[in-house]
Amino acid sequence: MSEYDEEERKRVINLTKKIPKLTLTKKIFGILLILILILYLASGIFIVRPDEQGVVKRFGKFNRLTSPGLNYHLPYPIETVLTPAVTQVKRVEIGFRTLSSGPSTRYQEIPTEALMLTGDENIVSAEAIVQYKIKDPVKYLFKIILPEQSVKDAAEAVLRQVIGARGIDEALTIGKYEIQEETKNLLQRLLDSYDSGILIVAVQLQDVNPPQEVQDAFKDVASAKEDKSKYINQAEGYRNDIIPKARGEAAKMVKEAEGYKIERIRKAEGEVEKFNKILSEYKNGEYVTQLRIYLETMEEILPRMKKFILDLEDHGSLINLLPLTDLNLLTNTTQEVKK
Amino acid sequence: MKKLTLFIIAIIIILIIVNFSFFVVDETRQAIVLQFGKPIKAIQEAGLHYKIPFIQNVVFFEDRLLIYDAAPTEIITKDKKTLIVDNYARWRIIDPLLFLQTVRDINGAQTRLDDIIYSELRIDLGLFNMNEIISEKRSAIMERVTQKSNEKSNTYGIEIVDVRIKRVDLPAENEKYIYDRMKAERERIAKQYRAEGQEESAKIIAETEREKTIILAEAYKNAQILRGEGDAEAIKIYAESFNQDPEFYSFFRTLEAYKNTLNEKTTMVLSADSEFLKYLSKP
Repeated sequence: MSEYDEEERKRVINLTKKIPKLTLTKKIFGILLILILILYLASGIFIVRPDEQGVVKRFGKFNRLTSPGLNYHLPYPIETVLTPAVTQVKRVEIGFRTLSSGPSTRYQEIPTEALMLTGDENIVSAEAIVQYKIKDPVKYLFKIILPEQSVKDAAEAVLRQVIGARGIDEALTIGKYEIQEETKNLLQRLLDSYDSGILIVAVQLQDVNPPQEVQDAFKDVASAKEDKSKYINQAEGYRNDIIPKARGEAAKMVKEAEGYKIERIRKAEGEVEKFNKILSEYKNGEYVTQLRIYLETMEEILPRMKKFILDLEDHGSLINLLPLTDLNLLTNTTQEVKK
Repeated sequence: MKKLTLFIIAIIIILIIVNFSFFVVDETRQAIVLQFGKPIKAIQEAGLHYKIPFIQNVVFFEDRLLIYDAAPTEIITKDKKTLIVDNYARWRIIDPLLFLQTVRDINGAQTRLDDIIYSELRIDLGLFNMNEIISEKRSAIMERVTQKSNEKSNTYGIEIVDVRIKRVDLPAENEKYIYDRMKAERERIAKQYRAEGQEESAKIIAETEREKTIILAEAYKNAQILRGEGDAEAIKIYAESFNQDPEFYSFFRTLEAYKNTLNEKTTMVLSADSEFLKYLSKP
């Protein structure tokens, strides 16, 4: 009996030891299981940043779009989420690469990409930036591979097509804006045909230059243009100098003539007045006045001349000329005459 | 204890079976279910799908637009010029079953696309002159090549969405020729500008001279008219006055003229019986 009791007692002790142990491990296991379940369910919480949009897939199939903020999707493998940055504007560069941006931006030209044929079989070097962003995140994610590559390939093709439709002079000068717009529109249409969900924000032509090899010739054209206007300006300058001078000279001629006219008239009037006055006096005593005037005149003019007096009746020959002036008889003679 | 172990084992087994009998087709992919290697069905709809575990298996294909980018190749245009054409294409698998049966995978497809696009492009570009390819016929050529290539590629379960000429360049030796021509052309234009400038300049100068001459001639004319008027007026005034007594005028004016003309240098020979000296000899 005692042996049995002993056995019994041992069994009971063993049992009592085992029972709480088992319940404890069960409890821990249960808590763990619940924790794992909670963690599993919590794994579906996700944050969409302001510049992003959430795209939730259920078993790989597009299910819904979510807006920025705290969101939830059923945990993996039921649902998964992608968060493309839809407001971010991305860019691709054609014909050059930005090596380092920031305060001292450095670029590297890529001639093979930049050089393109124009419609008149010339070559230009064109560099452009294409800016794009996601228009439709569903298409962007699910309809196209390597979106950036697609934009770049398409942009290169379209830009070349557009420049190929133009002559070099147009491409280099006035056509720039048109090229940008046309490239943008064609590129958008092309990317839409790829169902890419990409929106072209802008196509900006950076530099459109003649290739390095012919730049001097192009520069010379520019300086020839300058020369042209220089020549014209010089001629205009000459004209601006000559014409006013000529006008001045013309005015001078006319004014002088006007002066002459008035001078002539006034002189005539004066002389006539003088003559009239004399004439009216003359009428009063014609003979004596005439004689007086004659003699006064002689008086005035003869003193200053060399004079020879010739008696033609006696000799009639010039040999008998007497140089009276030497004898200084003139004054006496006139004085005698006066008497 | 044993129960729990059994339970866990059961769950694992179920998971394995589920895993082998369900599969996910992503939006970016399409799939074909094979039964002992034999295609049973194509799945183009994304989502959760079922297959018989262990008997059937699944192969996946890309459902997005794919890139084909060939290396630049030389082609000869209708006017026998050589161009280096760099083209690309965008394509997608539209019939995965056909695709699997004909080209197996994307690498196989690339080889076929090479053959199709290259030959179509070569044929079409050979129909046009170089400048047509560069400019006005470019998009038409691309459209036609796309269409024709697409017709051919349909037999492989492939749709060619777009064949596009990315670049058309000239071989290096032709580039040199083009540069020379461009230089010559620019020189011509520069010369023209300068000559035009000189032409304009000469025109302006000639016009200036013409205007100057006219201005001066007009002025001369007006001046002469004025002078004439002055003279005429003077003559009229003189005549009116002097006609009162022409004889006296003659006498008076002659004496005036003597005063003005006879001076120190004049030598005068007077006859002793002249009017002036008449009293000298016969008082």
